[in-house]
Amino acid sequence: MNNHEPTPNTPLPGVRVAGLLAEFDGPEPLRLAAERVRDLGYVHWDVYSPYPVHGIERAMGIRPTVLPWLVLLFGVAGCAAAILMQWWMNARDYPVLVSGKPLWSLPANIPIAFELVILFAAAAAFIGVLGLNRLPQFWHPVFSSPRFRRATTDGFFLGIEAQDPRFHETSTRELLESLGATTVETCFAPATRPGLPAWVRWAGVIGVLVALVPPLWIARARAIRADRPRVHPIQDMDFQPRYVAQGPGPLFADGRAMRPPVPGTIPRSQPPADSLLETGLDNGKPITHFPLPVSQALMVRGKERYEIYCAVCHGLAGDGRGPVAIRALERAEPGWVAPRSLHVDAVRQQPVGQLFQTITRGLNTMPSYAAQLTPEDRWAVVLYIRALQRSQNARLDDIPRDKRALLER
Amino acid sequence: MQPNAVADLPQDQITLGEPLAQRAGMLWTAGALALSAAAVFGWLHADGMQWFLHSWLLNVTFYVSLSLGALWLVPILHLTRAGWAVAVRRLAEVMGANFGVLAILFVPVLLGIDTLYEWADPLAVQNDPLLSHKAPYLNVPFFVLRAILYLAVWWCLGRYLLVRSTEQDSSGDPNVTLRLERASAPALVILALTATFAAFDWIMALEARWYSTIFGVYYFSGAMVGVLAVLPLAALGLQQAGRLRGAITVEHYHDLGKLLFAFVVFWGYIAFSQFLLIWYGNIPEETQWYRRRLSDGWESLALVLLAGHLVIPFFGLLSRRAKRRAGILAFWSAWLLAMHWLDLYWLVMPAVEQPVSVLGAMIDVLLAVGMAALYLAAAARIAATRCLVPRRDPRLVESLVFENT
Repeated sequence: MNNHEPTPNTPLPGVRVAGLLAEFDGPEPLRLAAERVRDLGYVHWDVYSPYPVHGIERAMGIRPTVLPWLVLLFGVAGCAAAILMQWWMNARDYPVLVSGKPLWSLPANIPIAFELVILFAAAAAFIGVLGLNRLPQFWHPVFSSPRFRRATTDGFFLGIEAQDPRFHETSTRELLESLGATTVETCFAPATRPGLPAWVRWAGVIGVLVALVPPLWIARARAIRADRPRVHPIQDMDFQPRYVAQGPGPLFADGRAMRPPVPGTIPRSQPPADSLLETGLDNGKPITHFPLPVSQALMVRGKERYEIYCAVCHGLAGDGRGPVAIRALERAEPGWVAPRSLHVDAVRQQPVGQLFQTITRGLNTMPSYAAQLTPEDRWAVVLYIRALQRSQNARLDDIPRDKRALLER
Repeated sequence: MQPNAVADLPQDQITLGEPLAQRAGMLWTAGALALSAAAVFGWLHADGMQWFLHSWLLNVTFYVSLSLGALWLVPILHLTRAGWAVAVRRLAEVMGANFGVLAILFVPVLLGIDTLYEWADPLAVQNDPLLSHKAPYLNVPFFVLRAILYLAVWWCLGRYLLVRSTEQDSSGDPNVTLRLERASAPALVILALTATFAAFDWIMALEARWYSTIFGVYYFSGAMVGVLAVLPLAALGLQQAGRLRGAITVEHYHDLGKLLFAFVVFWGYIAFSQFLLIWYGNIPEETQWYRRRLSDGWESLALVLLAGHLVIPFFGLLSRRAKRRAGILAFWSAWLLAMHWLDLYWLVMPAVEQPVSVLGAMIDVLLAVGMAALYLAAAARIAATRCLVPRRDPRLVESLVFENT
């Protein structure tokens, strides 16, 4: 490996000695050499190896870094930022009530907080490592040695820089040689610290100026009142290729984009064909009889629907003590109107048509169940409510003759 | 790979030795006495052994989790070709091979199925559409069969990993390392499946109407915390008894501490993942399980877990120094072991639907201590005839000299 051209020992004009680069045989000689250099009190020096050498930090006398504290600090900041952000967005600035959940609640905040802790900590670690190591470094005197490229494959190097107070070209060279370096070469640097090339500087300035244009443009647009129509930067969203209602369209023979309603369609304002069944009203008055045949099957259906949709509030027995009602009472929910027992006289005396109307349209806090229950299902529920009411106010006559003995016992 | 590093480790350093093994032998009696006392208290509790059996289940699943964790750790070390861990691997292998005593300790659970599990009652199943829907899986014969299968699989796996590795102590054959590495991948698949279903069967089925698909992972995360807490304690204990002084260094404690820290966070992640979805969905059939565990005083235990199983040890184990001082690490290990036990307590005991009483707490502690004694005695019996380090493992030298940078 020593067949390179001999390193010049005298600096060329305009060039200064920047340091010495010594190559060692392997990780162990490098580590031992580092220990000696450390003990002699050098400060501006470094080692270069293709892979991390175990124990090299201690051999070089590198003190523990502050990076962990930085990462911790930013992690905590990320947590605080996430929770503050969510509180501000969801509970303060733009509160949106989602299915009755609290506007701001810690469990929902945790995933975002977790992610921001990681993001902040990882960014702090990454940028911190670069910053503390003064990276990226585009040029360094050791790069002047062609041999140095082998630091990424099989070369183990130790470089001492000329700015070190203990650096002396000959005595330091002798030291490195005495430590078992296979070669020691002098690295050179331009006498004046090379600045960035002019075109890079100009590119940077222009880049910054260009980057300033959009925010300035936006700031101006927000500040002034325009008399021209707005700019459409996203054309295919502002002008969507679609057919509009009442407009022409090439898809159908009649040339209309919109289809006429299916034959038999009726407007919402027109009463349905079987208005008794679908409204429970006769001339605006609630009907007192069931508009469909009452059967065991209807009763079973009504029980099932009642237990699915009604019992959560009204209770399985219709006494108004369903779990939702109890909980709302416990929490003293504002605006909550407790469901009535279905067994009070006022409800028992209601005609079936009125019960049907209540299910269809809702009452107080109770919403309409027309979307969940078909008219037939609503009648089934009314029927079951009638059965519940009967069961809570039953007389002995209601019990079949042969079962009465059981009760009397 | 350099085989043969025996020379550095004197024989009395890497064997348990007669006096220590004899002292561990006394634990059999102590454990049996504690368990009997617990049984008497269980009878005095006068609830048809409800509390006693639940407490027994809690403690068995706790000690099973320690061995299961070890059984997970060892193949992972083989698969990752972990050089650092060789010096402490034998301790984990011994724990992973300790299923003999655990299988015996599991028998009372099988005898108490009727008391523990609602679905074991045919009448209850008949009257409950959910239970009868699950009956093809949750029935007594199949449950017993599965339990036997899990324990048998774990016993075989643990023995295999230990015996093969011990073989190498005498033969020094580097092929053993390769063979163990090859066996480790399927072993992990088998372990993941059996342990997941064991967690479903033994703990989740206590409230059979509830289910959570992440439950197996939850148990796994706790098991890993358990084993990684036991290993530093075991290492420190042995070192104070004059063993393994040259083998286990501060670097091993540091690495075990890092893994312990990682699994503390992992446990928190999994526990919260289970909670968040159920909290957010807010559907009664899912929330009932948490409802029971977050009311009637159990919510205090839940908060203790949040603080003690996650937040406090997170900061306690965060710094490098905490992991490199064996004493500090041992403190957090003991702390987390207790928390892992409390975690299982929180999973199992609310199913009894009784408040904790002094008598109940005495049963819990007696069972925990008694089983600990039996577990240790059995582990010592396994370790007594073997080296405490895989002394001719090709990576032992690497493990002895490595440094965390």
